[in-house]
Amino acid sequence: MARRKKLVRYLGYALAATLLAFAAFALHLDFRVRSEFEGRRFALPARIYARPLELHAGLRIAQADVEDELRQLGYREGAREGELGWFARGSERLDIALRPFVFWDGPQPAKRISVAFEAGAVTAVREAAGGELSLARLEPLPIGGIYPAGNEDRVLVRLAEVPPHLVQALLATEDRKFFSHLGFDVRGLARAALSLASGRMQGGSTLTQQLVKNFFLTPERTLQRKLTELVMAVLLELHYDKSEILETYLNEIYLGQDRDRAIHGVGLAAQFYFGKDVQHLTLAEAATLVGMVKGPAHYDPYRHAARTLERRNLVLRETREQGAITMAQYAAARAAPLGVSRKLGTGTSPYPAFVNLVHRQLRRDYDEADLRSEGLHIFTTLDPRVQEAAERALTKRLAQFDKERRFGAPGLEGAVVVTDPQNGEVQALVGGRDVRYRGYNRAVDAARPVGSLLKPAIYLTALAEPSRYTLLTPIDDGPFVWKSRGAPDWQPANYDKKFHGTVPLRVALAQSYNVAAARLGTELGVERVLANVRKLGVERELRPFASTLLGAVELSPLEVAQMYQTIAAGGFRSPLRAIREVTTQEGRPLQRYALAVEQAFAPEPMYLLSAAMQDVVREGTAQGLKRFLPAELGVAGKTGTTDEQRDAWFAGFTGDRLAVVWIGYDDNRAARLTGAAAALPVWGEMMAALAPEPLAFPKPERVEHVWIDPQTGLRGGTSCAGAVELPFIEGSAPQERAPCSGAIDEAVEAIDATVEKAKSWLERLFGR
Amino acid sequence: MRYALALVALLFGCTTVQEPTPTPEPAPAPAPPPAQRPENIAVAGLMENARADVAAGRLSNAAASLERALRIEPRNPRLWQELARVRLRQGQYAQAESLAARSNAWAGGDSALRAENARIIAEARELSGRSGR
Repeated sequence: MARRKKLVRYLGYALAATLLAFAAFALHLDFRVRSEFEGRRFALPARIYARPLELHAGLRIAQADVEDELRQLGYREGAREGELGWFARGSERLDIALRPFVFWDGPQPAKRISVAFEAGAVTAVREAAGGELSLARLEPLPIGGIYPAGNEDRVLVRLAEVPPHLVQALLATEDRKFFSHLGFDVRGLARAALSLASGRMQGGSTLTQQLVKNFFLTPERTLQRKLTELVMAVLLELHYDKSEILETYLNEIYLGQDRDRAIHGVGLAAQFYFGKDVQHLTLAEAATLVGMVKGPAHYDPYRHAARTLERRNLVLRETREQGAITMAQYAAARAAPLGVSRKLGTGTSPYPAFVNLVHRQLRRDYDEADLRSEGLHIFTTLDPRVQEAAERALTKRLAQFDKERRFGAPGLEGAVVVTDPQNGEVQALVGGRDVRYRGYNRAVDAARPVGSLLKPAIYLTALAEPSRYTLLTPIDDGPFVWKSRGAPDWQPANYDKKFHGTVPLRVALAQSYNVAAARLGTELGVERVLANVRKLGVERELRPFASTLLGAVELSPLEVAQMYQTIAAGGFRSPLRAIREVTTQEGRPLQRYALAVEQAFAPEPMYLLSAAMQDVVREGTAQGLKRFLPAELGVAGKTGTTDEQRDAWFAGFTGDRLAVVWIGYDDNRAARLTGAAAALPVWGEMMAALAPEPLAFPKPERVEHVWIDPQTGLRGGTSCAGAVELPFIEGSAPQERAPCSGAIDEAVEAIDATVEKAKSWLERLFGR
Repeated sequence: MRYALALVALLFGCTTVQEPTPTPEPAPAPAPPPAQRPENIAVAGLMENARADVAAGRLSNAAASLERALRIEPRNPRLWQELARVRLRQGQYAQAESLAARSNAWAGGDSALRAENARIIAEARELSGRSGR
């Protein structure tokens, strides 16, 4: 008797202890659910956009290029009345239904526009109503993001934005009693218990349980975890109402993989699979997404279209059975094709090198954690058309070089930077031949010897002294030894191992003679030249040795672009920028990276230098460019080749673009590379694809053009064989006339002077 | 054309045509004066926006519009000047000075534009408390 009593008492204790333990466990879970669910905001990646394409009358762009950009934006071809995001092609005309977009300077509403083209240019932009538009801005192409852990990507949506048929299909398929249960479903639990007997936990999860599982728990399948999930689901239901739980579920749910990027939530899935916002999903499209919830890899509409279609139709049938849709809706949706948009398959970014540069520039001003969670919108300077041309030229040429083994064994690498010389915006950046590889970014991180690329700084330093140096000043390219204390003698040699005697300054640059450049540079003073290199925008420390002048200094392609940008802009230095604006997720402007300009050099010597750099292309080491571009463009540039031909460079500019190309091996091995043979073809092919504008440097008032007889270096005219017209800073041109110059040349000069005067007189009279 | 003229000049033995002949009739046709170039309506529209923004005190927006316009017409000295003026009002004197100099680079023989640039540069220097360079 006493024994039985004792047993009952012990059992009572045990029960109490168990209940207490369970209460403590529940309390702990309750705390977790509330603190984590409440505190949990979805981490949203910073979203990075390319430059928006701005269409206006006079813009030089082919209709096909605009169509390409629209396709990349997910616009569909063919008119769809009442819908947004399509374009229809007419003869020399495009009708576009623009989607709304929130730009840095405010929201732009949806709009129907019509764009007229003629001969590779836009002639007019009109509203559908007929009124002329001065400017129409397409939405910018998303080019990647800065992602939270796991590269989770999502676009948050409110429950009210989600079409009811999506919710109905979801509940019909995944959780029919969602609105009545308490977080778990008794029948589901029974099924789960049965399956426990077979050794594997599965099935029977309500939406609430699925959410708990994704939110708080690891994916292992044990009894304890199942129990925890159950308790947490009930707790979640106690604290939050159904619509909050449903909205969170819709934003959390995993719906597939885009390379290394995880697609979460119906908002992003709608954009990724169907190129539209969630509110515009049709019933059939919504059913496809709902079908994928069960297993996005198994029901991948790109890889397993038939299986996904079957699954979609099952979802539709279940939705129909629940009476959520009519028979007519069901039949129409069933008959619809899958209709997924063209897969771009770009992963976290199609342009990893450029995004990497953007990320670096952002880190100066933003906290890394904010970049990965606050959903900032980053508007950049990338021009997808330029980027594509750069990628194509580099990959194609490198493949060809490898095949021919022209410069050495296969495995050559390269990098390209393209900027707008007028404002320093980076339009394209290629970090290596595997253009989608997110790793070593050679355009920014590969510092390589620059060879002759520093020479323009030597000649610029000289030309800034018009009393001593003009483009015609004879420079000695005879044997030269540089002695300095504490350093071994330096004896530069020319590429062809020859000396060329005395040559005019512009020839020394055009032919890239090392000895002449070394002699001139040391005459001017190494420190003075290096000071100008810094003024051109090179911030890296430069060793004050004479050999530095001939390129014994390592720079990245981006640093070279910064230096040449100052030359291309006529002496105005602008820091290279990859970002224009940053806004919050809602579109509130946070920061603008404005155009900054600093006059680093007087315009006159810059004008002379660029004329000399045009000679590099016209008659010097970069003559090969003729194969790609017409001479009338007047491209200016400089080739660079380094010791033992390890690196090949070409840096040059047209009227509207500046580009730097580097080619070499990652292990820095000796090769047979030259700037002219390896880097220049990439540059030329890329630029040819972009139809560049001719170089038109503004002539400073204090510069005059004079015809020169190349034999004597004196004033000549067309009666002198091979006469060239050269710029001189006022007062520095030769006065004496060459013997070959006849009276007719003098007369031409006089008339030219008269016309010049008349022109400036007219300009003054009528203004500009 | 100019060679034909030179020949004519030689034939008539007057190689000293020094006086400017303002009537462009017989002279070799100079490039059409820039004023005749049809103004880009996109640029004109953005310039208008910028002016409205300046009037409303939205200087940062004005600068953004001008930068947009400069992407379309980087060689338009009026846009560079307008941007210089905005920077002056924003108190960014060094920028104002450099931008006015940039405007000068494209100003050609437009003396009115040059004079205004000189005024902006002088004002920027004065306001920044510097005396000359």
